[in-house]
Amino acid sequence: MFEPATPQERRRYYREEWNVRDLPDFIREDIHMREFGFDHHGRGPNDRYRVFSDERRLSVFMKARFPFAAYSSVAFYRDPGRRKGWQRSELIFDVDAKDLPVRSCNCGGVCEECLSQALELVLMMVDTLRGDLGLDDIHVIYSGRGYHIRVLDPEVMEMESEVRAEILRYTAGAREPRREFSDSTGTYELEHFTIPVGYHRVFTERARHLFLHMGGDEEIEGVTKRTVKEIVKNRNLIRDGEWGVFKRRIGPRVYPRLVKGVSKINMRMVDAKVTIDLKRILRLPTSLHSKVSMICMEVKNPETFDPLDSAVPGFVYERK
Amino acid sequence: MVSSLFINPFSEDARELVRNYGALDGIADTSEELQEIVKHTDGQNIDDNSLIPGSIMELAVKRLEWYLKREKREFNHGDYAYLLNPEIQEYDVLAFYVLAQATGAKFRPVSREARLVVESTGALIEERFRVLREGERDEITGQVLHELGSGDLRWIELEELLRTRKLKLTDIILDRGRVIIEGDDFMETFQDRIRDRRPERLYQLLVGSGLKETMISRMIMQRTEDYIARVHEMRSRVQPHPLILEAAELIASRVSEEMFAFTGTSVKSAGPGKLVPEAFPPCIKGAMEGVKSGSRNDAIVLLLTSFISYARLYPSIFRDRTPMKVSDLDPDLRITREEILPLIYDAAEKCEPPLFEDDPQEKLNITAKLGFGVHEEPEPENEGESRWYTPMSCEKIKIHLPDLCHPDRICARITNPLSYYNRMKWIMKSEGKGDEGGDEEKDSE
Repeated sequence: MFEPATPQERRRYYREEWNVRDLPDFIREDIHMREFGFDHHGRGPNDRYRVFSDERRLSVFMKARFPFAAYSSVAFYRDPGRRKGWQRSELIFDVDAKDLPVRSCNCGGVCEECLSQALELVLMMVDTLRGDLGLDDIHVIYSGRGYHIRVLDPEVMEMESEVRAEILRYTAGAREPRREFSDSTGTYELEHFTIPVGYHRVFTERARHLFLHMGGDEEIEGVTKRTVKEIVKNRNLIRDGEWGVFKRRIGPRVYPRLVKGVSKINMRMVDAKVTIDLKRILRLPTSLHSKVSMICMEVKNPETFDPLDSAVPGFVYERK
Repeated sequence: MVSSLFINPFSEDARELVRNYGALDGIADTSEELQEIVKHTDGQNIDDNSLIPGSIMELAVKRLEWYLKREKREFNHGDYAYLLNPEIQEYDVLAFYVLAQATGAKFRPVSREARLVVESTGALIEERFRVLREGERDEITGQVLHELGSGDLRWIELEELLRTRKLKLTDIILDRGRVIIEGDDFMETFQDRIRDRRPERLYQLLVGSGLKETMISRMIMQRTEDYIARVHEMRSRVQPHPLILEAAELIASRVSEEMFAFTGTSVKSAGPGKLVPEAFPPCIKGAMEGVKSGSRNDAIVLLLTSFISYARLYPSIFRDRTPMKVSDLDPDLRITREEILPLIYDAAEKCEPPLFEDDPQEKLNITAKLGFGVHEEPEPENEGESRWYTPMSCEKIKIHLPDLCHPDRICARITNPLSYYNRMKWIMKSEGKGDEGGDEEKDSE
């Protein structure tokens, strides 16, 4: 498993296993408005600006060329063959298990454990997108080495990069939460974990996720290696909701620096460039991730989804 | 009595006031009532007649003048105390529209004059909230939020404020897409989640008057910006009133007067200085060595263009915070053409593949980022067609150009590459390594 697919295996997958009818509806609808890109030799998607007027033509292409990788644009264009006449773009969050800056495994690539951690993060982000931001039409895609969140809510599809970056900061917990508050009686300092609503709640959840998955060797900007070890040593307190005690153990003066460092790591848990890029091409659901021989597919039930069960193409089981 | 007119020039009452005023012929006429209100304002300096606005047009210009002067050392609050006197509110609404219409009639929506008018509007609102009594303040806040349509407000409706960074999404309290503003709504939505603190108290701290007032000032700033853009767009179809054009001339001369005072006397760092490449931050050094496609266009057009131009012409922008045009600092554009652009073009050439071979239109975008619109080269007559963009922040670089961000020890306390440059120049000067010192150890952006 996770070995590259040979050209023969790719051909077999596209001719015997792959069916264009398995494409998610959000790809099939308005397929003629998306740009497609292909990587035929494993050197990157250099066959771009392809357009398919309907899914039948895409099917013929895939079965004839069995590409190393297939992509479609997150954007819808009037003239996708020239990437002109931009209409709207999906809002995307890309969580790649192999690039997670904090993870509990030491696999060096991808494994069951870091994939599961990536899915856990993705599900929290989906909850925030729905619960806080009130967005709908959200799809989770297993990409082969991680997960994509694809949001097709019409309310966000025409938004520009700056607003998308702002959504990313909120959803990923990538901004240092405000500590100082004031009212008519004075100014007060409140830690994020004492505020169970709004962005502070999101940040607390993401920080919890991070602390519980740390191995102890990570670098967090602004704090020493010793503090990182202290986090790992005391993280059971967080599991039990004892954030106040946890803060005391870390040190009240170090803690604000830790919070700042966490917000920076949170930003790296998601590939931000993908979110702000309105003209990105993204791996096509149902296509083969040939580097790892896994199928990129929509996750219908995230609670039960296991990529090693659902996303392994038939040819892998027949390898010697 | 204070009404919402004091804060919100976009309320129905304010619009009715403007409609009832009728023709604009009287905006330059002296109003004794206005002068009386001004003279009888507590704390108003009346020694000098030039401090007293006699007409609506003069009041319009005074609003802007107050903003231009308030950060300066010689600023005296007593010269403009009437701007915080609620009795002025009806004249002030009319003055606001004269100011906004004059700006839209003469200047582009991205011009520094338009920006100053928008910023001064926001600053004046914040200042006015501060002088209201507590009960009055709550009442006006509630009323203005209602006028601005905050009931069942969704964050999506704040898109423009988020895009222009007037508001942060992380500062507002959200539930299922709704912005929670009212106390009752907050209790109903979150009461069950809040355990260790009184929900009413948490509401006061998280939302209370602070966030409400920020939202009001930002929303009115946005509406002002949109209004100026609409007037500008209509100016070819509707001939502006001659007195509006006269007001626009006054705005232009007052702004350039203040800018001249600014460059000529008080701030020595505002003027151009030679570039010190040794003081460039790692991301800029990386961009100058050429970048591979992927990050290439953003690195050259968005990062390097603004960095090199500001570092050469106006490195103190984040400390001085006064909007300048390239031509204020480089009147004949010689420095821009002979020093700045060659450096940018040279870095573009070093990219892989070379930027202009691959994307020739990016040359036009570079001109646009310097404030000269979408043209092949910067020409004085095109200045103001676009904004002269300041260098993107480190936070933005991390998102847009992560491959270029290799922080060194100086980066740790820095939030913008231009601040790095100023700090490094200062360090080099104090270590005796450079002739020209940065003077911005306390830069902020």
